[in-house]
Amino acid sequence: METRRGFLRKGLIGGALLAFGGGAFLALRRTLRAAKPRNPLLVLSESEYAIFAAIAARVVAVDGDAPSTDAVDVAGRADAAMAQWPDSVQAEFRRLLRLFENALTGAATRTGYETFTASPARMQDARLAAWAGSRVAIFRSGYQAMKRLACACYYAAPESWPATGYPGPPELPFGEIE
Amino acid sequence: MKLLAADRPIANLMRGREIGSNLALSADVCVVGSGPGGAIAAARLASSGARVILLEEGGSFTRKADFHMQEAEAYPKLYQDHGNRATDDLGITILQGRGVGGGTLVNWTTCFRTPEATLARWRERHGLADFTAERFGPHWDEVESRLNIRQVDVSEVNDNNAVLLEGAKKLGIETELLRRNVLSCLHTGYCGMGCPTNAKRGMALTYLPDAAGKGARVYADCRAVRLVLDARRERVTAVEAEVLDPATDRPTGRRVTVSAARFVVAGGAINSPALLLRSGLPDPHGRVGKRTYLHPVVATIALFDRRIDPYYGAPQSVASHAFIERPGRTGFFLEVPPLHPMLASLALPGFGAAHRDGMKLLSKTNAIIALLRDGFLPDDEGGTVSLREGGTRLSIRYPLGETHAEAMREAMKVSARIQLAAGAREVRTLHKDPVVIRGERDLRFIDERPFGPNLLGVFTAHQMGGCAAGADPKASVVDGNLRHHHLANLWVFDGSVFPTSLGVNPQLSILGIVAASAERMIAAKT
Repeated sequence: METRRGFLRKGLIGGALLAFGGGAFLALRRTLRAAKPRNPLLVLSESEYAIFAAIAARVVAVDGDAPSTDAVDVAGRADAAMAQWPDSVQAEFRRLLRLFENALTGAATRTGYETFTASPARMQDARLAAWAGSRVAIFRSGYQAMKRLACACYYAAPESWPATGYPGPPELPFGEIE
Repeated sequence: MKLLAADRPIANLMRGREIGSNLALSADVCVVGSGPGGAIAAARLASSGARVILLEEGGSFTRKADFHMQEAEAYPKLYQDHGNRATDDLGITILQGRGVGGGTLVNWTTCFRTPEATLARWRERHGLADFTAERFGPHWDEVESRLNIRQVDVSEVNDNNAVLLEGAKKLGIETELLRRNVLSCLHTGYCGMGCPTNAKRGMALTYLPDAAGKGARVYADCRAVRLVLDARRERVTAVEAEVLDPATDRPTGRRVTVSAARFVVAGGAINSPALLLRSGLPDPHGRVGKRTYLHPVVATIALFDRRIDPYYGAPQSVASHAFIERPGRTGFFLEVPPLHPMLASLALPGFGAAHRDGMKLLSKTNAIIALLRDGFLPDDEGGTVSLREGGTRLSIRYPLGETHAEAMREAMKVSARIQLAAGAREVRTLHKDPVVIRGERDLRFIDERPFGPNLLGVFTAHQMGGCAAGADPKASVVDGNLRHHHLANLWVFDGSVFPTSLGVNPQLSILGIVAASAERMIAAKT
């Protein structure tokens, strides 16, 4: 199952307040578009695609012979999944990505002064952890939404299964009755 | 040699893509929803000679075309909100089926009759005087025959379920082998993704073809938008539905309107109250959408030094109700879930290396789930279903309080003891920062973990309540015959009528109680 819904109005308002409080220069820092879409995007912008790709890379954190989240195109799979969501849910998730990416969020959570995509891995993990354990329930919800979508898109892909020991679905016997 | 059963077409079924224009239909009875309640009601009503039209929001799926044992395909296609249903705060993940057949498309085939303790409570506290095993028994007998419900043999218990069976036995905790609605089951383990062999006797292979065989017409991909009332607001006159495009799950712009003499709402414990709320039906005491119960689930994850392969085999074959009666506290019962990679990855806490390392051990992992019997304590009002954004979206709230927390902590301790007794190397909770349990001394750390939304993984696969039955119109939505208190030609036939949770998996309760109620509906004059 991919993601979750319902959310982040309070977080967005909080972000806006921070911006007006003097952090506008942080809010305007740009997304590092390290990941490029393979296919035309249905829902996400190219920036949002890059943000989610960066999040997925840290959430799943592959090692060894397991394919990377980019190799599985987790962000592309997420974009395709989102295409079936109601418009309002799509819009909420996109707002969530932009809020999480914003350098102000890093400052507010004491996890750096860069955008998420431009942050080093250590600070990216710190930001994820800050949201996961935040005393503000709505930030925990936001973390869950991003984590679950990333995990779902990666581990539903057959390429990811060998690393888990899952052999895949069994062969069914041939033939029919009735 | 066991072979695969062929798909059994539902005669008179029309899919959304086949509906090329607005339709205005008429019937004696219009049923909204094709899960266990709607399906058996449609079969009973059609058998009585009524002209029945059944509307289903989800698509119509078959083994050959749709059930490929792939999580990426199954959850978006076969579950509510494309597998994304959850409480507003995302604190409780809600697994709920969607499609022709409803929850029976994807449930794990576990069958229990309603426990006597639950029926007794409903009689005593909710005025449901004739909710008795004697009344429902003949209907359960018929359903059990039709769905081939049989107790599993111990040889069918896979290694995942054997952890509960053997661990509990070593601790002297009583367990039971489960009954399942399957025929010639190959034990693939993929019940939750649509049975790939048609072994599961769900509604799409039983009561829906039965209903269609008696003339009922089934319209898939048709989402009921609202019930239309007469000018005096005393009777329902029609159901308006929007036709969905199966490819995109979005409205096509075409509408189906069904006029009928009687109406049955059977959309399940979240969608039924939502439809009643969207329709603005009389609800003078504000009872619609209240007392929503979820059997909130917590799990513990056990790691073994041997393969468990928790994705193969009958998903559920063992349970324990040894802890269902806990006077003054919330009871719980224990079962085992299948663990496929995607579902497991959502359940495992954390991210990054810790999460990845847990996933690497999937083949040696077992989980035990504890399902809380909610609604039995005096102050346990459960959750709520309401509307937001002009009725276009649902709001599902379920506050977890101290009584839930106490039961969850105790349940995790019991589950961990069972897993360790079965030979687990270690057990982990699903807290944000998991408690690692290697012995009895570690269990106390469960009490020290913070408790709140998204600090502990909580799930539900059983949704109940929201249109509670009861004798008192001030405290309930439908009466003891499941007929709406304020609208004489409207019945609610699904798990939403349960005034508390059940304490067991719900499908057989829904089938038996609705079958008995449909009998009375047929006999009733309106």
